[in-house]
Amino acid sequence: MSAQPMRNNIVLRSLAQIGACGLFLLQILAAIPRSMRHSRETVRQLWFVGAMSLTIIMVCGLFVGMVLALQLYYVLSIFGGTAASGTVVALAIYRELGPVVTALLFAGRAGTSVTAEIGLMRATDQIAAMEMMAVDPIAYVAAPRFLAGLIAMPLLCCVFCALGIFGGHLVGVTWLGIDNGTFWSNMTATVELGKDVINGVLWKSLVFGAVVSLIAVFQGYTTPPTSEGVAYATTRTVVASSIAILALDFVLTAFLM
Amino acid sequence: MTDSERAPSLDPVLVRIRGLTTVLNGKTIFDALDLDIPRGKVTAIMGPSGTGKTTLLKHITGQMRGDAGEVRVDGRNVPMLSREKLFELRERIGYLFQNSALLTDFDVFENVAFPLRQHTELPEELIRNIVLTKLQAVGLRGAAGLMPNELSGGMARRVALARAIVFDPMLILYDEPFVGLDPIALNQVLKLIRTLNETLGLTSVLVAHELEAIKQVADHIYLIANGKVVAHGDPKTIAQDGSPWTRQFFGGEADGPVPFQYPAGDYAESLGFSGGKA
Repeated sequence: MSAQPMRNNIVLRSLAQIGACGLFLLQILAAIPRSMRHSRETVRQLWFVGAMSLTIIMVCGLFVGMVLALQLYYVLSIFGGTAASGTVVALAIYRELGPVVTALLFAGRAGTSVTAEIGLMRATDQIAAMEMMAVDPIAYVAAPRFLAGLIAMPLLCCVFCALGIFGGHLVGVTWLGIDNGTFWSNMTATVELGKDVINGVLWKSLVFGAVVSLIAVFQGYTTPPTSEGVAYATTRTVVASSIAILALDFVLTAFLM
Repeated sequence: MTDSERAPSLDPVLVRIRGLTTVLNGKTIFDALDLDIPRGKVTAIMGPSGTGKTTLLKHITGQMRGDAGEVRVDGRNVPMLSREKLFELRERIGYLFQNSALLTDFDVFENVAFPLRQHTELPEELIRNIVLTKLQAVGLRGAAGLMPNELSGGMARRVALARAIVFDPMLILYDEPFVGLDPIALNQVLKLIRTLNETLGLTSVLVAHELEAIKQVADHIYLIANGKVVAHGDPKTIAQDGSPWTRQFFGGEADGPVPFQYPAGDYAESLGFSGGKA
């Protein structure tokens, strides 16, 4: 096969996947009212993708804030501007690092397990069994996991940001000796609730939560019911989510700035 | 579903298949297949591997649609039903999967209670009683608290059976229910199928290969090959049918209308021998 048809084939396959994913999203949205009667399942999934991801989010948030403060201190000290460390740490975390790193971690921790779980449910006929018991698997399996991801992401992002700033404070104030009052007052004077916190933390993490959850559920739901198929689907969840998060981050930043 | 729809029909045939034609990946699975499943009986569907026995069950339950023909269950043409109507019909059909398909997040009790919780608003006490009654029927009331990964294959199949009958369905479909069972479990499952059919007034359809087991439990056997019914009758008469199909299948012979070898090129040539020079 020559390179051109093969390239066309890959492009067409990718477009078909995106189209199928879009149609799957419509199915999920249509099933959300029916999934309300499975609210216990949504809460169970919220625990699974949200609460169970807390440890990794907290630890990573802490270290990202710490390393950020350390790097900034040495760069800003060249210009004698170490007092601005708190401000820059907060802006970087609220606007970019918080939502993006949380989403990447969320895709790695929760997205992959959702894909593997649904893929194995398909491989072991559990999805078919639900169909046979007249239970709509989109409403019982897909929609609760999608909703749980949508709700969990902004909450996890808030935790990440809080721990990130705490980490920045730990390094900047406790270790490197930046004045505590300067650290906080510069930060509170510069950071805007609407522009930085709402746009950065809320909107971005909501969009990322929706995209990662959709990709994870879609990959699990459409995977071939084999062990190899589940393995590929899990990998595709991480790859597709990471690309989607970084590409959408650029688009959202351009619109929200 | 209205009461009149739930009322038992007078038609002695519960499942009527006419002219079913299905082509999958260029291969004809069913070629104008005609088949009747009588109400209140145990009917076995047999045939060589790959003839579409499980596919036939999928047509009956609307998981698959054929390219042509009719599949009527209790008078309803399954391929033409809306998703809502299909789900209403499926509430009256029990399906036992080859691998049991228990929900791995739930214990045995919750697996059996699952359809009740999804489709009814019954009080917890009543759900508990129904589930324990069904588990008692399959001999696993004591295993109610076990998780699916703690069950043997035979136990998992019996739990799946309890779940399949939790709504007292009109029709129950068993896909390879005897695979991997030891003689004790096999005997118990055979007795269960027969007892459930008689006590609950079910119609049962079995897809299986175990001839001796089928002879004990089935009222009627269909032998399918090459997309058509090649023989049918009660277990005693079908074996004496005398056709090449029944002779080969029930005699377990390698030679006959069903080839043992998958179509392939010349054997000697594929081994690198040609023209008699080895």
